[in-house]
Amino acid sequence: MEFVSPEGLRLDGRRPMEMRQIRAEIGAVAKADGSATFEMGNTKVVAAVYGPREVQNKSQQNNDQALVRCEYSMATFSTGDSRRKPKGDRRSTEISLVIRQTMEACIMTHLMPRSQIDIYVQVLQADGGTRSACINAATLALADAGIPMRDLVTSCSAGYLNSTPLLDLNYVEDSAGGPDVTVGFLPKLDKVTLFQMDSKLPIDILDNVMQLAIEGCKAVANYMREILLENTKELEYRRGV
Amino acid sequence: MESKSSTSSTSLIDQSVVPGDMVLDLSSLSNQTIKLGGGLYQDCDAISVMKAGRLRFSKPNKYWVESSQKRYVPHVGDSVLGIVVDVRSDNFLVDIKGPSIAYLPVLAFEGGTRRNIPKFEVGTLLYVRVVKANPGINPELSCTDASGKAAEYGVLKDGYMFECTTGLSRTLLSSPTCPVLDALGKKLSFEIAIGLNGRVWVNATSPSMTIVVANAILNSESLSGVQQRIMVDKLLQTIQ
Amino acid sequence: MEQRFSLHLTLNENKFIETAPLSELRLDGHCPFDYRKLTIKFGRKLNFFTLVHSTLFKSGHIFFRLLMLLNVLEGWCREDGSSEVQLGQTRVMAFVTSQLVQPYRDRPNEGTLSIYTEFSPMADPSYELGRPGEFATELGPIIDRGLRESRAVDTESLGVLSGKLVWAIRIDIHILDNGGNLVDAANIAALAALLTFRRPECTLGGEDGQQVDVHPPEVREPLPLTIHHLPIAVTFGFFSNENIMVIDPTHHEESVMTGRMTATLNANGDVCAVQKAGGEGIFQRVIMHCLQLAHVKAGDITSKIKNAVDSYNTERTLRKIKRHPLMPKIFPSLSLSLSRDQYAEGVNFDDLRAPLALRGISFSL
Repeated sequence: MEFVSPEGLRLDGRRPMEMRQIRAEIGAVAKADGSATFEMGNTKVVAAVYGPREVQNKSQQNNDQALVRCEYSMATFSTGDSRRKPKGDRRSTEISLVIRQTMEACIMTHLMPRSQIDIYVQVLQADGGTRSACINAATLALADAGIPMRDLVTSCSAGYLNSTPLLDLNYVEDSAGGPDVTVGFLPKLDKVTLFQMDSKLPIDILDNVMQLAIEGCKAVANYMREILLENTKELEYRRGV
Repeated sequence: MESKSSTSSTSLIDQSVVPGDMVLDLSSLSNQTIKLGGGLYQDCDAISVMKAGRLRFSKPNKYWVESSQKRYVPHVGDSVLGIVVDVRSDNFLVDIKGPSIAYLPVLAFEGGTRRNIPKFEVGTLLYVRVVKANPGINPELSCTDASGKAAEYGVLKDGYMFECTTGLSRTLLSSPTCPVLDALGKKLSFEIAIGLNGRVWVNATSPSMTIVVANAILNSESLSGVQQRIMVDKLLQTIQ
Repeated sequence: MEQRFSLHLTLNENKFIETAPLSELRLDGHCPFDYRKLTIKFGRKLNFFTLVHSTLFKSGHIFFRLLMLLNVLEGWCREDGSSEVQLGQTRVMAFVTSQLVQPYRDRPNEGTLSIYTEFSPMADPSYELGRPGEFATELGPIIDRGLRESRAVDTESLGVLSGKLVWAIRIDIHILDNGGNLVDAANIAALAALLTFRRPECTLGGEDGQQVDVHPPEVREPLPLTIHHLPIAVTFGFFSNENIMVIDPTHHEESVMTGRMTATLNANGDVCAVQKAGGEGIFQRVIMHCLQLAHVKAGDITSKIKNAVDSYNTERTLRKIKRHPLMPKIFPSLSLSLSRDQYAEGVNFDDLRAPLALRGISFSL
């Protein structure tokens, strides 16, 4: 199948190094301490953060750092086939684990010992790159909840189809079976915290694809910064500052 | 009397015994007190073995089974290495590899008063003495010797702690000095603290020396005295 | 990698483990970039009792337990397709079994490959009975991704009858002892088991060519799987001190380190999967450096697996002859205490691999 036309356009009309439109909104769930929605093209994710609060299960309490928990779920209507997937299947437990560990790396957990932070992410629409969108949404929700963080962790995916590195894969490109790289990046520290890849790719090409994904992460980071600044300004305005 | 008791059980003394073996028949002994150590129990007139190991006898009347385990059963007077797992207002909770957590009262230090309670983080390694060990209650520890002096008890800083069997730690503490420590001590300088609960702490001048000492001790368990010396020589050659 | 161990580590140990790699040292005496001792065993040398033990520990209804036991016993009795890997103190066992099933509708000619992991509290007290820990949910997908997405096993050759029957290959990974770095050990065990696995040969017969005959191993020699390449998982551990990195972290190191990355590569330098699920952030150039290192390690491990498999195959062929009642007549010079060299002189190994039925010799066990 041809994923990049001779004119250099992808199936959805993007250039290989172009991202889908990203949109974010802070404060989508009124009850949560912090929440955000994040859209990357047709992928839409909502994240809610509760905490830091008292640890519910005392045996899990940590005396020197906060306990971070994460639950990832996919809404039944999020994909084309409306088969009801059992909650807590292998894939979603794995993604929950990945998101938890990624967020844990940027939250300053040692400042909140004996407490618990819950992150809930739900996929409302899935069109490739759900993992990345979830991490981006979770970062914004954590920022909204005012939880101390070292850096804004952002994520983006990239792939390699028809011998071309492609940024931010959509569902069709993702399910083509080609290499697929997801990167979680700490832009200020310039460090990679999440890095997942599958299928076969020589090392030097992987380097390029990863570089592309990192550039994507940086773009997301810039956008996120703007959204957060805008949000802060709005809060100031409401307080009449 | 003495000779009689030893004749009745010589067949098994210094021999390997397994659980169920009958060591002594009290009915054949006339009016003699004997002291039983670990691994033996009394069932009516029969003294039987409950742990696999080697039966030992010490004059005049002590019997015990010597064996090597990974788990430790606390006994009063044992010097052990413990790890602080929690800090409470009256006690430090210390893990000594036993069946239950041991308590170290915050005042059980030399000249300990309410004013000068030491500050230990979770994970601190301590060299302590078991002062109470009764089944059913948590063992109690102390950081002083019987006369209330700090002696060598207290916090162990830096270095490296590893776990071994209780049998190995007993061998290391035996006198005359066990060959592996003797051979190492002649060539290297290092500090060592051995707990009867199968924990050994080593601190040498450099990390590489510490690793050599730790590995030499761990390897020595299944070797004879001569083999231990040869092993130490070889190890030392590889680093020089 | 935040794992809640029941193991209490002292501050001394933490500090020592973190500082030792700075002077190119590790506790067991090897270098930060070296693997621990790796041994691979096959088939009959398995310890039967550990197996029964681990199976009986499984929670669930007694009936299922027995069923599970029977399954495992069946796997044990057949010597092909099972391996036991020991990496330092870590011990992992893998079994491969096959079954004829209906294929997925969208892939009518393709067989399936699935990986199941089994953690028993015997291996590590932090695993709870019946409930796989968080780490258990990560181990399966890492190996799965390395093997399946890179198409290491040719699943297309597993089709029997289009749309009706294909072979489903199942890999069961049992963790026997957790001495750290389960991923690499489990991956090696899975590969070794796949390489020695043989499925029964089956042919299409009947009037319409729709009838499937499965030939028992006594009649036709079972067939090995087609394996294109060996994806080797290499795990790195990162510590809060940026300058430190180790390969093949031990159990102690795992509880001190703050980040882990598993890179799955084959000997040709193709990256098949990478998993770095959060944790300590590292620079991009460090990741590239790791991949280069992993490439070298993958080459070493591939040759180790191949050597082990080759010697097992030779042994297996030899055993086949020994069992044969006519053997002493054919080779009068060969007694029961045969050495390999004698065989090498007298026997053409390619002939031995031909189905026994074709060789026209009666065969009994």
